Amino acid sequence: MTKTILMVDDSPSVRQVVGLTLKSAGYHVLEAADGAEALSKALANKVHAVVTDLNMPVMDGLTFIRKYRAAPASSGVPIVFLTTESNAAIKEQAKQAGATGWMVKPFQPEQLLAVVRKVAGA
Amino acid sequence: MQALTIRLQDEIFALEATSVREILDPVPITRVPNAADFVGGLINVRGTVVPLADLRVVFGMDRPPMDKDTRIVVVEFDLDGEPMTAGILADRVHEVTEIEADAREAVPAVGMRWPPAFVRSIGKRDDGFIIIPDMQRIFRDEGVVAATTERQNP
Amino acid sequence: MITLDPAETFRQEAADLLDVLEQSLLDLEKRPGDADLVSSAFRALHTLKGSGAMFGFTAVSAFIHDFETAFDQVRKGEAAASPALIAAALQAKDHVAALIADEASADPDAGTAILAALARAIAAPAAADWLVTFRLPDNALELGTNPKLLLDEMHSLGACEILERSEPAAPVGDIDPDFLHLAWVVRLDGAVDQAAIEDVFLFIRDDMSLAIERTGGAAKSGGGEETAPAVAAPAAAARREPEAESAAAAPKDKAATLRVPAERLDELMDRVGELVIAQARLSQIAASRHDPALVGVAEDIERLTASLRDTTMGTRMVPIGTLFGRFRRLVHDLSDGLSKEVVLVTAGEETELDKTVIEQLADPLVHLIRNAMDHGIERSEAREACGKAGKATLRLSAAHRGAEVAITIADDGAGLDTARIRAKAEANGLIAPGTPLSESEIHRLIFEPGFSTAQAVTSLSGRGVGMDVVKRTIEGLRGSIDLASEPGHGTEVTLRLPLTLAIIDGLLVRVGSGRYTIPLAAVEECIELPRNADAMRGRSFLDVRGDLVPFMRLRDLFHADGEADAYQKVVVVSSGQMRVGLVVDQIIGNNQTVIKQLSRLHSGIKTFSGATILGDGTVALILDVMNLVGFGQKLEERRRETALGRAA
Repeated sequence: MTKTILMVDDSPSVRQVVGLTLKSAGYHVLEAADGAEALSKALANKVHAVVTDLNMPVMDGLTFIRKYRAAPASSGVPIVFLTTESNAAIKEQAKQAGATGWMVKPFQPEQLLAVVRKVAGA
Repeated sequence: MQALTIRLQDEIFALEATSVREILDPVPITRVPNAADFVGGLINVRGTVVPLADLRVVFGMDRPPMDKDTRIVVVEFDLDGEPMTAGILADRVHEVTEIEADAREAVPAVGMRWPPAFVRSIGKRDDGFIIIPDMQRIFRDEGVVAATTERQNP
Repeated sequence: MITLDPAETFRQEAADLLDVLEQSLLDLEKRPGDADLVSSAFRALHTLKGSGAMFGFTAVSAFIHDFETAFDQVRKGEAAASPALIAAALQAKDHVAALIADEASADPDAGTAILAALARAIAAPAAADWLVTFRLPDNALELGTNPKLLLDEMHSLGACEILERSEPAAPVGDIDPDFLHLAWVVRLDGAVDQAAIEDVFLFIRDDMSLAIERTGGAAKSGGGEETAPAVAAPAAAARREPEAESAAAAPKDKAATLRVPAERLDELMDRVGELVIAQARLSQIAASRHDPALVGVAEDIERLTASLRDTTMGTRMVPIGTLFGRFRRLVHDLSDGLSKEVVLVTAGEETELDKTVIEQLADPLVHLIRNAMDHGIERSEAREACGKAGKATLRLSAAHRGAEVAITIADDGAGLDTARIRAKAEANGLIAPGTPLSESEIHRLIFEPGFSTAQAVTSLSGRGVGMDVVKRTIEGLRGSIDLASEPGHGTEVTLRLPLTLAIIDGLLVRVGSGRYTIPLAAVEECIELPRNADAMRGRSFLDVRGDLVPFMRLRDLFHADGEADAYQKVVVVSSGQMRVGLVVDQIIGNNQTVIKQLSRLHSGIKTFSGATILGDGTVALILDVMNLVGFGQKLEERRRETALGRAA
């Protein structure tokens, strides 16, 4: 079964690189540029994992995670958020909001692939 | 043998005295729905639930309702290694009497009103015959029928 | 006054100690580093040795002395509790049991051989593997953590086997068999780096309990020792949790129990039964006398009697866990004997059943477990070839459901082979070839006497003749067996037993001129039968808040006399998953019902499970809800068939 990953980041280049990496590895990728678009796509599609930045316009990552977790559809879906290592407080906040794992920025696309494989399976 | 004689319709039957536990006046009988007629009722004997056996069914007799002479004889005997307790409905209870061994005749194979299998022997007394029923056989055969029968409503 | 033969006292005490020893050994196999278990086993041995000597069982005492010496090394941490050691220890336990039963006939050579095996097991260097114990928080699944992926990751690190999983005690039907295990004990190849193991749990480390330690007690392993202390602190705290679970499942504190001859309890039950009947009469008389003082006392007595009843009945109830405990050894031995890897998972050990029922269940459950392991569960290679985990799971669970107890034996084996069952049944002349049968009907053929699908008759499960005996035993307990199977995925056998409590709460109803009692635990609700229910021909269904519930008129079923009451009442009862409405003339009220067995003469009447004596001295029959519900289903099916037949 092909798994679908939702990639959320306001930077088009990040989305492009990550998207390519995940697609080559056999995943189906959905993209969103902000929290609001992410929420509507996450609720409208069957998603096996979400990777999201936190700092985004319209709706930031934390709000998106909270709203998504409030929906029953999010039950069992791992959420990986992107963070700069120095911000331990945000890490805690994101976990409280319902995140499952994290990826430290800046990262190599292969590192993100390893994390996605870890939380969502191949 | 020592026996308690009882009347069922026109006939006198003898129950082995050693098997008789007690004699009761008529008590309320609880009907068991869909049970065979032979054991269609239950009675309370000092805290124990005992089935009521109507031998009149076995011997094809009429079964008029109970009257002031009706009694229930509670008997207990061995059936296939386990004790069987039952109440026998009697139209009238007579007395405990001695039935001489040599006064007992074998059961003729033909010419009897009732199923010979259910009669152990026939005792003779001055005025008539006394039927000594084969309780084991009756309860085993009729009992088997009763135990495996539950009349269904189609 | 019962005078006890001193040898008998020792035997009874020894039986308990040997039980503790066996359970400790089996637990030790899964948690080799657990010092408490070693102590527990050692204490049992020590006490056995001392008592044995005191009561003149010299051979026993001598053998245990040698056994103890070998085990002492484990206690001191000089030897690891390896599987070889445990196997030898279990054999030693059996030998002790044999010596106690009959010292003269026990084979002394066997004893010597076992002690030699023990010595060998201790001398062998223990492979120091990792033992990973972890527990996930309850919300882990919702928040996206996937236990299967965690386990897969550990698998990818090295040779890995799941030793234990714990189930929450929830109704069997609600558990998703793949996911709701929240605590695991996993044995992992010792060559793996500890950091790599911790990495598996990277994201969830803060929210879970995790303990990584070496097997074999005192850590004598090579690398990783520096990190061991760092892991030890959270590990020690983490160990509490899985241990607390096993402590809860362990037998209750022995010091607070008492041995009582069973006959005394039976006598007590009889007296209480008579008390209940007398109290019912008293209440009735008090009510009719209109004397407030008398009514007051009668109420007090009723309350006290109910309380006494509950306590007394409690003495006869035994948790089914005692039975499950015995099976651990059985599964362990069968697993070895059949060379199949099987994990036994149990749930609902605390479910209580009357002691006589427990005794009668032992054999049927053994048959079912043997069948599952012998015929249902495949060998690891075959399983892995189908993409299944090499280790099979056998799940035993028990739960109360209304007036019933449901005991389930489920395996994730190959399931029932419908085609093969059918072929065998036809070959044995049980059915004519070509007879149309549904899948469930074919499955039920395995309960027919003289049936067997085993290609090879193994000594362990015989010819599968156990199944018809199982069915008869369960039916003798007035219970029923349900079968569910999915080819390739497994089989689930559910035994449903009515609670055979001697005194129950009953609902007294009137049908015609007769009164009947319905076990209150089976009653869901009482409603009135709508007037127009009569007008609905061919459809006897009630709408109960949106659900269609079939109903049966007991007046018809029991051929009641007299006129029906104007407003018929419906008592909705349930058995298993099915419900049925029983239509009666009048609902009289609750009563404490002392169950009296029906005579052999009425054993064929399935609609009644017993009789009781009411306050006024008359006899009332007790309805067998399970049977009535089943009967109702059959009537409905027949009606549907004739309706279809007419329509066709």
